[in-house]
Amino acid sequence: MSRIIDKDLKELSATLYRMGELAHRAVLEALIECIEGKEAHEEVREIADTLVAMADHVEDKAFELIARFQPVASDLRTIKSYMKIAYDFARFGRYALDISSINKQIGGLRGCEEWINSYVKRMSEKTLEMVRSSIESLKSHNTQIAEKISEREKEVDKMYFEFIDDLIKCGATIKCAVSSVLIIRYLERIADHAAYICESIIYIATGRKEVLR
Amino acid sequence: MAVKFDIQNLNAWFGSKHVLKNINMKIEENAVTAIIGPSGCGKTTFIRCLNRMHEITPGSRVSGKVIFNGVNIYDNGVDPVMVRRKIGMVFQKPNPFPMMSVYDNVAIGLKLNGVRDKKTLDAAVRRSLELANLWDEVKDDLKKSGASLSGGQQQRLCIARALAVEPEVLLMDEPCSALDPIATAKIEALIRELAKNYTIVIVTHNMQQAARVSDYTAFLYLGELIEYGATKQIFENPKHELTEKYLTGKFG
Repeated sequence: MSRIIDKDLKELSATLYRMGELAHRAVLEALIECIEGKEAHEEVREIADTLVAMADHVEDKAFELIARFQPVASDLRTIKSYMKIAYDFARFGRYALDISSINKQIGGLRGCEEWINSYVKRMSEKTLEMVRSSIESLKSHNTQIAEKISEREKEVDKMYFEFIDDLIKCGATIKCAVSSVLIIRYLERIADHAAYICESIIYIATGRKEVLR
Repeated sequence: MAVKFDIQNLNAWFGSKHVLKNINMKIEENAVTAIIGPSGCGKTTFIRCLNRMHEITPGSRVSGKVIFNGVNIYDNGVDPVMVRRKIGMVFQKPNPFPMMSVYDNVAIGLKLNGVRDKKTLDAAVRRSLELANLWDEVKDDLKKSGASLSGGQQQRLCIARALAVEPEVLLMDEPCSALDPIATAKIEALIRELAKNYTIVIVTHNMQQAARVSDYTAFLYLGELIEYGATKQIFENPKHELTEKYLTGKFG
């Protein structure tokens, strides 16, 4: 027999999963906008706003569940972690909007050197893979997927610092340097939040507070 | 951790029914330890073994050691009456002596122990009622019947009665199960207050109550101690699957 709280937890989980899909789309659209110059700012803004509203909803619902059910053990860990994950997804939306704004304000990566564009693309792919992994680990509370993110997070960090070194050496135009540095900085932050989500999944499933960064 | 009880291989039976199975645990001094578990798991029997009340029931039997202040209370030569004076008990249903006044309900333990001096008795009654947070509510009419008090007041009167003989430990068997939420909150606040100077072991069916008032929690199931640890750990991150299932209501 299922418990009363199970229905609400399932609903919260479904909301988070929808947030994950929206967040992934926002980041993808913003990156395409910056790299290929395709206008997507309004759409990204809309998704980012929706993600903030959904995160507020998750927090309100979580508070209601705490008040009504006084959850303990894995229920308590799940609710606490869902609040954190909702915030992480809302941050994805915020960083997507920031990336999109780079295109709007200074023209993104249009006309920049090929090596810069291809570096940003590679880092984008890696980061989007991490976003995807965080969503998948959430979907099934899969700790194995979650644990694997650590290695990729370190790769993204390494790429971030290497890129900055290369950029200083190559003497890129100010516009391209600013655009690309901001983009990869936001990608690096998105990767961090993907790792936070995976840390939350491990906490829900095992109670262990692991650091995957 | 200063150990008040060191329980070693404790077993208890009702006739042929083995109700406590090889319990080993240490209970900290001046802390609140909650005993939780489903009905029939042996919670009440367990605390009744801590002050030799279990043996009062015909056909009951105990084996193992309950070392209290360094002495096994089941050793030959240990007086069970003295044990129960040091280790008091508060029951599920408030049970003041209905024909006695508030004053006499508190003084009865001392009187039975031969205290006759009125000044000593007055001081002890006041001190006990103050400790039980009841003094202000009854001080103007100590002669009225204990049975005339509200349920919550009666339970605090019983706590005052237990405190009057200056125990070191209070065993509480679901002390709030017959009380409304306000009376329950008062008893819970009192338990925390008393834990500064007394060791408290409380049996409760209300898990949120265990989470609110206790420092340590023990989970019993079918007479076995399944898990015992800091209340924060037990309620946030239980190690044993049975504890997790019981706490989250996924049992059976």
